Amino acid sequence: MMTLFSIARKNIRKNFTHYFLYFASMIFSIVIYFTFVSLKYDHTIQSASEASTKISSAFSAAAVVLIIFVAIFIWYSNSFFTRKRKKEVGLYSLLGVRKKQIGRMLFYENFLMGALALLIGIALGSVLARFFVSLLMKIMGYDAVSNFSISPAAILNTAIVFMIITLITSLQGYRLIYRFKLIELFHADQQGEQEPKASWITALLSLVLIGTGYWLALQNLLQSSVWAKLGYMLTPLVILVTVIIGTYFLFSTLTVTLLRLSRRNKKRYWNGMNIIGISQLLYRIKGNARTLTIIAVLSATTLTAVGTAYSFYYSNASNALQANPNSMMFISGDNSTTKRVDEMISSSPDHKLLYHTTVPVIEVDADVSGLGDLFAGDMQTYTVISNRDFNELAKLQGSEDTIELKGNEAAALDPVYYEGISPKYVGAEVQLEQNKLRENITFTELKKYSVLNPATVYSSIVVSDELFSQLERQTQSIQLEAYGITNQDKAKQLTAGIEAILPDSASLSSYYRDYARGMESTGLLIFMGGFLGLVFLTATGSIIYFKQLTEANSDKARYQILNKIGVHKREVRKTIAQQVMFIFALPLIAGITHCAIALSALSKLLHMNIVIPVVICMGVYTCIYLVYYVITVNAYYKIVTKNK
Amino acid sequence: MTTILQAKHVGKTFGLKGNQYTALQDINLEIQEGEFVGIMGPSGAGKSTLLNIFSTIDTPSAGEITIAGQNIVTMNEEQLSDFRRNKLGFIFQDYNLLDTLTVKENILLPLALSKVPAAEIERRVNEIADTFGIREILNKYPYHISGGQKQRTAASRAIVANPSLILADEPTGALDSKSATSLLQSLSKLNELHHSTIMMVTHDAYAASYCKRVIFIKDGQLYQELHKENPLRKVFFEQILEVLAALGGEHDDVV
Repeated sequence: MMTLFSIARKNIRKNFTHYFLYFASMIFSIVIYFTFVSLKYDHTIQSASEASTKISSAFSAAAVVLIIFVAIFIWYSNSFFTRKRKKEVGLYSLLGVRKKQIGRMLFYENFLMGALALLIGIALGSVLARFFVSLLMKIMGYDAVSNFSISPAAILNTAIVFMIITLITSLQGYRLIYRFKLIELFHADQQGEQEPKASWITALLSLVLIGTGYWLALQNLLQSSVWAKLGYMLTPLVILVTVIIGTYFLFSTLTVTLLRLSRRNKKRYWNGMNIIGISQLLYRIKGNARTLTIIAVLSATTLTAVGTAYSFYYSNASNALQANPNSMMFISGDNSTTKRVDEMISSSPDHKLLYHTTVPVIEVDADVSGLGDLFAGDMQTYTVISNRDFNELAKLQGSEDTIELKGNEAAALDPVYYEGISPKYVGAEVQLEQNKLRENITFTELKKYSVLNPATVYSSIVVSDELFSQLERQTQSIQLEAYGITNQDKAKQLTAGIEAILPDSASLSSYYRDYARGMESTGLLIFMGGFLGLVFLTATGSIIYFKQLTEANSDKARYQILNKIGVHKREVRKTIAQQVMFIFALPLIAGITHCAIALSALSKLLHMNIVIPVVICMGVYTCIYLVYYVITVNAYYKIVTKNK
Repeated sequence: MTTILQAKHVGKTFGLKGNQYTALQDINLEIQEGEFVGIMGPSGAGKSTLLNIFSTIDTPSAGEITIAGQNIVTMNEEQLSDFRRNKLGFIFQDYNLLDTLTVKENILLPLALSKVPAAEIERRVNEIADTFGIREILNKYPYHISGGQKQRTAASRAIVANPSLILADEPTGALDSKSATSLLQSLSKLNELHHSTIMMVTHDAYAASYCKRVIFIKDGQLYQELHKENPLRKVFFEQILEVLAALGGEHDDVV
């Protein structure tokens, strides 16, 4: 017992570089997980946020995703590591060490590493968690000081999760010696590689499958008959499956077909190192198809998730602006309250008043059956504003848009207009009903924005000045106070002050309140998206890295032959760079394309222009990915050119 | 007749000071164009070290070596790569074929690396495949052909670029006697008809008897030289065996 334990310990110490990769990926996983769990248990975040239950449940859900992912990642590194050691294990067996003893030794070894990684991971994680807490607070727009402390609950949680994972991988190591015959352990690397077969039919099928998925995703949800037929639950699943299978076929057959085609062109193929590069890729590509598909799908998922989160975060300000064209708006009660608000704004050192105007509006009931609105009943209340006031307010808000209405013409203001769902407005006729007055109006224009804050008023329409005064005679108009101030996104104190003096009946709406609320939820979203995205990216990069290094080791002999027959090191580096580029670029391109389709579908659905945030996300992702590429090429080159 | 290889006072020592081991000592050697030279000697005599140095894969500790008019001792790594590609052809005991390439692609590899036009490549490969009788297996992969065929493929690759010097390291070491004979006959033919210059390291007296001249090395130094004066190969074979017996010790090598 004791001797086996010490052999295991010696093994780790002596082959540390060998163990390093595996060890490092375990530590990495633990650090990430621990940091995440620490955030979940941290009191600073919970007390700062009004929506603390929301945060904690979001973190819990993300933690589950992380556990699954980390388990897969450790499993992958473990099998990579074990493969490297098959020969060593075979040697022990050949020297007459009993299977049981070898198995136990492997078990101890792995368990020892797991325990050590856990200690180091938690230590590193404690430092990182502190940093991430303050980062999260900042992203969510809080300025509370973080006094982060390590929670025992987080340590316990992490320790239990990783002890279980380590136990499983250790058992896997124990079983290694029983799973394989001695001869297989010795020939781990020498399985003959066969030239892959591929047909044009499956190659075409891959394109058809992906095309179908894309086509479905880009349909207009509400008008598509395919979506209606397949059902709204099933169709996304169909898209997912067709695209994933299509990607797999794409990698396993289309690439093979293309490479074979390029081999047929002798002028290019028999030219320098092309012959080496193309033939090597051809042999590898089929075995790599599964890994490449996984990486493409992971990349697409990561990019889509992060892209979505970032798009929301990015468009928070414009969403708040759409909901609050005026920095503040409320229904006027008595003059003294309005005066106090004026004073508060003018005495506030951080904000300047851009405009303050009082807008008279009328609340009118209307028979809207003529609109054909799917979601409204026959009767609806409108907030009516006169043509002149609309133009004035629009000008104050910095818009150059104007409306000219005559007689019974009207304009609809719909900031949440949605093609296909919202009524078409233009040309439709509705009847305004005020006391005994019945007036038919016709919509001649539609503005997809409002000049009034929708939270303070009903659905708004603009009518001609004549009609407005006619309505005004029937009923008392309501006075709306509209303010525009500078630095409206930092108006925390001012907004709180005004909120305190206004009654609920004033139905105050403010830019700041919507903006802050948006920051809180989208900030959390972007933080978690970014965090998980980074983890996924690191893992994808590492998976390719491991895979390529395995190949480098089996390619070593080939490059030594090439060196003997006079191939320059420069040429070797070039062909490695090209081959590795092929492996890196394929899933990235597929991932980015999938993501672009998914996000353009999303942007259609949400009516948001998200080109800029999405391009930024893709750019950052590609840059980090490139770093992995460079590291992999260097490591590959070092392995194949190193002399024994 | 021009001198293809000239080695002067070549020496090689391994290890650091105080614990040095001399593998080669003061080797002087000349090989003329069109020669077929064998290098023999017991294990550890320095045959492989000498071949590695001539192959430019290893560097000598002392002395000068000129191959095809170029001093290979002073070249840098890039120049050596070019030199190996353009002037030398190699045949190894373990073939050193690339398993990702077909027989044909393996043979044409040196030409492709030197960017020879495709039509010219096609012509040369077919010509050499006929010389070695491997035309039918051109489109097969190395793991589908026999050891003898592999070695003939390797030999084809070695000479396809018309090198100044072909270096063969125990080319028959892994072959059965029939395949070995066939390969040796091919090399002989190449030497006779195309005046290719071949230097072959071997410990097999039978293989050496196909050479025109055999050089014996012992303990890192030149020991003796035999010229084939009698056209009968069998007579030369007997002479070689006599020298090997005199070299003594390593009876295992004299099979």
